[in-house]
Amino acid sequence: MPVSLIVGTPKGAAVLTSKDRRNWEEDFVLRGWPVTASTRDDKGRTYIAVNSPNYGVALFVSDNLKDWKQLEAAPRYRPEDRGNPEHHRLVAKEDFAGILKGGGRFVDQIWTLHFAHGALYAGVSEAGLFVSRDRGQSWQPVDGFNEQPNRTTWAPGFGGLGAHTILSDAKNPNRMWVGVSAAGFFRTDDGGKTWQPKNKGVNPAVDSAPASTGQCVHSVTHDPNNASVMFRQEHRGVHRSDDGGDSWQVIEDGLPVTELSDGHHCSFGFPSVMDLKSGQVFVIPLDGDNFRFPRGGQLAVYRSKNGKSWEPLSKGLPANCFTAVLRGSLAADQLDPGGLYFGTASGVIYGSDSLGESWREVASGLPRIMSVEAYAK
Amino acid sequence: MTVRVQLPPILRPVMGGERFLTAEGNSIGAVLSDLTRRNPALALHFFNESGGIRHNIVFLHGGTMVRAKDADRHRIDPGDEIVITNALAGG
Repeated sequence: MPVSLIVGTPKGAAVLTSKDRRNWEEDFVLRGWPVTASTRDDKGRTYIAVNSPNYGVALFVSDNLKDWKQLEAAPRYRPEDRGNPEHHRLVAKEDFAGILKGGGRFVDQIWTLHFAHGALYAGVSEAGLFVSRDRGQSWQPVDGFNEQPNRTTWAPGFGGLGAHTILSDAKNPNRMWVGVSAAGFFRTDDGGKTWQPKNKGVNPAVDSAPASTGQCVHSVTHDPNNASVMFRQEHRGVHRSDDGGDSWQVIEDGLPVTELSDGHHCSFGFPSVMDLKSGQVFVIPLDGDNFRFPRGGQLAVYRSKNGKSWEPLSKGLPANCFTAVLRGSLAADQLDPGGLYFGTASGVIYGSDSLGESWREVASGLPRIMSVEAYAK
Repeated sequence: MTVRVQLPPILRPVMGGERFLTAEGNSIGAVLSDLTRRNPALALHFFNESGGIRHNIVFLHGGTMVRAKDADRHRIDPGDEIVITNALAGG
């Protein structure tokens, strides 16, 4: 079955297509636009999020991955919404729009797009959640999330205050989850009206934050049809929850544990993904937050077959790799056998059509890779 | 009061690859408003959440560089050409 990859970079999107997952054709679209996220809806329409420091945030759509049309609407805060001063400090060097001078809250990046139950969701920085119920023609802020009382405790991570993970429950449209760096993981059980922090068992990464928030979640993955079993790559290690995030336990047997900059010992990394047919989970560890490259330079994907312990998969991956794999840059095509794809910060895409047993280079020479999504037609 | 407006390369795909558009107005600000009324997809790129012109956009008109803050009071004549671009950044 044909597979398409949408690869987001600061200079456009690489569109990689293959009929056999071995030979790939490459196009490069939306040239000049930083491409930060993509998703596909239930009718096969692909959405790409872009942001420009000069010309703002927008969304393009395509039904054939060749012709792209910009939507007239995009997520936007209200002029009266007040921004987070620490987030402003982190992103001020790119405040070409000038809005920070007024202390406003604005959408400087769409970190993730998610389609569920007929609605399109966008997780953005400055951290917030937006929804479109007309396939991107108009957007509304999810005030229950964006204005929750504990927002005053949210502190940005190194990359700013961003809502980068959205998950949904295929069997329960009222239940969703959103991850924010570095505020933590949140769940709604009433369709977005109210949200509760779901970080019990995860150490706060922000010292001054209360225990209910301040966790630096990097990514979370699960099966939407078995939604309560979740795997969470945190700044401070990999965790598992069997109760929809109500509680978390560290699962690091087999992962490369290292000393973080604050002295805490744990594994470290950013992306995570699940192959839904097998239930196998994949992460790509880095050697702690000091170095942020694979341990010893050996690029490896780690797999958990049983949801408890991990094994490295490095056949075909370089042993002299001193780059990183960013949060949104690991994807699964959900075919059988499952295909996995990830991109590095140095512009190389690797793919596997054997659930990681072996890897091969799919593309190289790309800019820094910020997102990878895989779609089987 | 029709004028010709040159789009920056990055925004041309928004308008199907068009380099030039036409709009009406007797100031750069008025032309920009008319341009986005005719082509709503451009509005996101020219105006921020507060409705102001994004600060890093500049306009070239008859050999003069016009800042966003001066767009409303900078007068133009029929047949003029306005180039939309952004302030240079980097080294």
